[in-house]
Amino acid sequence: MLSIKNLHASVEGKEILKGINLEIKAGEVHAIMGPNGSGKSTLSQVLAGNDAFEVTEGEITLNGDNLLELETEERAREGIFLAFQYPVEIPGVSNLQFLRTAVNAMRQHKGQDEMNAAEFMKLAREVSKQVDLDPAFLKRGVNEGFSGGEKKRNEILQALLLQPKLAILDETDSGLDIDALKVVSDGVNALRAEDRAILMVTHYQRLLNHIVPDYVHVLAGGKIIKSKIIKSGGRELALELEERGYGWLGIKDEETADSSAN
Amino acid sequence: MKPAPTLSTAFLHPAGQSLPEPLLALRKQRGTALVDMPLPTRKTENWKYSSKYLKLTDDMAISLPAEGKTGSSLAVPGYKVAFLNGVMMPEACEYPDLDGISIKSFGDLSDEEASDLADRLDSTLDNKAVQMARLNSARFEDGLLIRLKPEAVLDQPLFIVHEVTAEASGSAFPRIFVDAGRHSQITLVEEYISSGSAQVMVNTVTEFNVADGANITSIRLNMEGENVQHIGSTGVLQQRSSRFESHTVGFGGPLRRHDLQVRLEGEGAECKLNGVVVTQGTQHYDNHTTIEHVAPHCNSEETYRNIAADKSHAVFNGRIHIHQDAQKSNADMNNKNLLLSNGAEIDTKPELEIYADDVKCAHGATIGQLDEISLFYLVSRGIGRREANVLLTMAFINELVEQIPVEAVRETVQGRLNHFFEQTFQEA
Repeated sequence: MLSIKNLHASVEGKEILKGINLEIKAGEVHAIMGPNGSGKSTLSQVLAGNDAFEVTEGEITLNGDNLLELETEERAREGIFLAFQYPVEIPGVSNLQFLRTAVNAMRQHKGQDEMNAAEFMKLAREVSKQVDLDPAFLKRGVNEGFSGGEKKRNEILQALLLQPKLAILDETDSGLDIDALKVVSDGVNALRAEDRAILMVTHYQRLLNHIVPDYVHVLAGGKIIKSKIIKSGGRELALELEERGYGWLGIKDEETADSSAN
Repeated sequence: MKPAPTLSTAFLHPAGQSLPEPLLALRKQRGTALVDMPLPTRKTENWKYSSKYLKLTDDMAISLPAEGKTGSSLAVPGYKVAFLNGVMMPEACEYPDLDGISIKSFGDLSDEEASDLADRLDSTLDNKAVQMARLNSARFEDGLLIRLKPEAVLDQPLFIVHEVTAEASGSAFPRIFVDAGRHSQITLVEEYISSGSAQVMVNTVTEFNVADGANITSIRLNMEGENVQHIGSTGVLQQRSSRFESHTVGFGGPLRRHDLQVRLEGEGAECKLNGVVVTQGTQHYDNHTTIEHVAPHCNSEETYRNIAADKSHAVFNGRIHIHQDAQKSNADMNNKNLLLSNGAEIDTKPELEIYADDVKCAHGATIGQLDEISLFYLVSRGIGRREANVLLTMAFINELVEQIPVEAVRETVQGRLNHFFEQTFQEA
């Protein structure tokens, strides 16, 4: 489904990704782990098409189509979904209006009829329950005044509504307490499907207890330096990272978070 | 030194002689006072940004004939009054006889009523500050007098449509005077529209005399075309514990100017002034507001938002004057501005003059652009760029639009703003 070959990307002239290779097939769940500053968020943003990042080399294809030629909104319509590490607050645009506009943009792209307000409200309420978000949040401004956990649940809500082909979860577990982590993980697990791939980007192993990936990759210094299939040692790799940190792999865990990616 | 330009004498000849004698006399007197009136220039502080857009050529001095048909573009329930080129059109008016409420054209007033009105016209406005309102007083051909007796409540909004239409240049001078008795209530919607394409000017004055405990809601929609210079003044005089709420929504034009003056003269009076302005192309819009806190324990709350696209220009000047005796005044002024292009310009100036020592007075002004990160977030969900831009731009003013108390007006305004922004972002 997704194929990344020798991807180099930079921000403000500084190279962050230095030759990423990654193949993700439909139905698979991949976890990318790595220290702060390794380029995890950059990779997510590049996939979603944030033009603050410049792709200098390499290629990305989605089901054979060149993703790099598409605008952000076109990628979304082709099925790329990025759950943001820091979802944006947009006062003045109601969450409901935002979600409905997005769903209808997708439906229009697929040649389906738009959903009217009543139909959509019904659907949105159902999915809200699924991620344990009070439907009252639908009436508020997009993420406006939401807690960290509520923002993350709102991201998963969007993924469930938009039914992407490839869902990229950027540090979706960060800032969640154990109950919220469970809710979010259940939501992600509900997304798992044979025709859908999931790419999880995370600093910590704990998310992997709830969402068991098929592959674990370690990203460091802008490259994937280790990949394991979960059935043959991937789990152990993740646990080892959790216990020993990233140092034993010869990687420096840069305390400077990759803030440029946010 | 070159002498300052003065108002052409062509402007000193009012048309329409069918007014009651006291009003004709008042008009004449005001006209005499305008002889040699200096015109605003770049050096006139409160016209600094707008004087160059003001075109008071002799062809503008002609009174537009009150001929033709008029029709509001607002299809809303409520009572209706229609003005065409500054003259009331009885056949297009619809309002019932209500107990305690009198709605009359100036032309229909008795000499006694007219004499009383003549004494009070201009009383709510500081005419020195609102220079152009003086021109209206010298030129109005008709007007609307609304009187509410104590406790009278108008049960539905009153829609006043001011239409200008012309095949040749000229001006219209609509005039409204609202006399709201103690504890009376009214919601007034003024809509300014135009048809035709000749270069015209609308010079309008609306006054509210608000007695103790009265409650006024005023909605003002500026929707005229690109051929119309609009210069409007609104004066509000508030007595004890009265409340005045204003919502103005303005679309730009070659010149749009609105002066809003509120004088809180009785203890415990409060006003809330909301304003939204959108401009595109080479349009110009200038809002000047003044709130006079004269009495103690009064509240004022003012929120204006400007959005300027292309090479347009918006101006906000908000003056708050807290007099020495106005202790425990509470004044809050906020002006936020959004520039949609590099060529657009917005000038904002808060002016606070405070002579009392026990007051709360807050003000804030910001100018910014659409947030790139918010835009990325929206498009990353498949929403088109144009639609995302429209959503974010609407978001900037939604808070104010949602406060418009008449649903039908609110929805119309939302629709028109949406349409305006869709045009604005067409190229994007």
